[in-house]
Amino acid sequence: MRDEPYRWIEAIQDRRDYIEDQLRPGSPVVGITYNEGMLLLTIGKGQRKIFEVHDRIALSAIGHPADIERLRMLVTDTASVQGFQNATEDVNLHRLTNYVLAHTFKQAFESIVGEAYIIKMLLAELGTTPEKNLFTGINFDGIVRTDTNFAVIGGTEAIETGMQNYLTTAQTDADRDLTEALRLSLETWAVGKELSTREPEETELEETQMDTVQMYEVVNVAREDGEIEAGILETTQHGASKFRILTSQEVEAALNL
Amino acid sequence: MNLKGNFLNPSDAVYEDIARQTVENHKGDFLNLLKQANYPLKMELSSETAQPNADIEIAHSTTVVAVLYRDGVMVAGDRRATAGTSVIYDRAEKVLQIDRHSLLAISGSPAIAYEIARVLEHSFQYFRRSQLQELSLEGKLRMLSRLIRDNLSMALQGIGGVIPIFSLYDLNANEDDNGGKIFFYDALGAHFENVDFATTGSGSVWIRGVLRYLSRFGDTPLPEMDQQQAAITILRLLDIASEYDAATSGYNAKVNIFPNVKVVTRTGVDTISDDDLATWYAQAQPEQA
Repeated sequence: MRDEPYRWIEAIQDRRDYIEDQLRPGSPVVGITYNEGMLLLTIGKGQRKIFEVHDRIALSAIGHPADIERLRMLVTDTASVQGFQNATEDVNLHRLTNYVLAHTFKQAFESIVGEAYIIKMLLAELGTTPEKNLFTGINFDGIVRTDTNFAVIGGTEAIETGMQNYLTTAQTDADRDLTEALRLSLETWAVGKELSTREPEETELEETQMDTVQMYEVVNVAREDGEIEAGILETTQHGASKFRILTSQEVEAALNL
Repeated sequence: MNLKGNFLNPSDAVYEDIARQTVENHKGDFLNLLKQANYPLKMELSSETAQPNADIEIAHSTTVVAVLYRDGVMVAGDRRATAGTSVIYDRAEKVLQIDRHSLLAISGSPAIAYEIARVLEHSFQYFRRSQLQELSLEGKLRMLSRLIRDNLSMALQGIGGVIPIFSLYDLNANEDDNGGKIFFYDALGAHFENVDFATTGSGSVWIRGVLRYLSRFGDTPLPEMDQQQAAITILRLLDIASEYDAATSGYNAKVNIFPNVKVVTRTGVDTISDDDLATWYAQAQPEQA
């Protein structure tokens, strides 16, 4: 098949369409910084979607659970060995994404006879200072994108653009506290979720015109058979490991749910 | 599967091999992961250096002590490191935090002891991160047993023996109960739970009897002491040990070096500050006050 470039490109395009179709209904993830750290939030149905990778690195993903698990273990194992062989300070997100994850994603995606990973990943790294906080998104084809203030992953690019637009316009004080970060990320999640239920052509508009009431309706429907999952990397945590999953009581108390 | 990769070289295929293996065989075992990465966990000595008939004496010049008190366990260690009769370091840390709810107090060969502590710390973290749950108390105890047992050949050659005290807080204990637990290990890795206290190192022989006396006949039994009482008791004990054991230092007034004192309670591990130790040390020595 590689002898015929046109068929190869066609096969890759088919594969892209297939993966995007699979990813579309996935529950989006929102990452956002706050005054004492970084937050990752989604609403899941039983299966954990937010994970601790290393002392200052957290991971979340949408896609096939088996692929998420496999790649989560790859990055956790690599970080654990590197952190032990050198020092935990030597483990950083840039190296993990660029030298380990990105090429693994790309290789699987482009070797059209093999299986592709149905996945989009969002990783967060708590910097030694707030300016060094880093979000990194990796697409199933291995494309890496970094953000500092907030980042999202959703099933399609249009969904992500819609969520980013909401975050940009609703942009509050960068010095927001955890409660404010939870509220903002939950609303952004609702925007993404709403866009993911629309037909592909409609999402191209990337606009939702939802008001807050509608957003919380979406959230409440999702909470009927799911739960808000929020993981934080907090600077105030004692010791080297900064990651913690918020309890449902903490989330509900903060959001008055 | 034997990997011929080098982790320091990211272009190696070792990462993909790890990915394949994690799927095939994943039990959250950090030692196994290090083995896959060709990390030399054991120091192998040639047979010429082995002394099978030599008297086995584990060098453990130090004093570390753990006592159960009202809120959990208090663990302390002196700061002296010796080589023969020379004092080579006076700020050694012998009480090491392993995770949020456990402390390892070490006596014996520092190189091996620090490595064991590091492997232990990383193993617990790796288990939590990969298996999405904390390693159980029993699991943590066994992991330490395994590391000590693996080190047996070094211990038998008289150069790498380690005798630690492992103190943990059991979060599954009832809210009203004291979840503090103290475990003592032998050179083969067997662990024994000590109810009220444990002490190890060359200075420990001088204070073990005192601890027994305090726990049986003292005005306030050890488990009923508050943090200050426990700290004063422990500082006094280390002082006694330093008077009789040349390898143990007490409080060094010339350069203001205090013993390491840490506690593990329901809320986690905490280090007692030098300011508190200074105040309490003054109270521990009434004749100097």
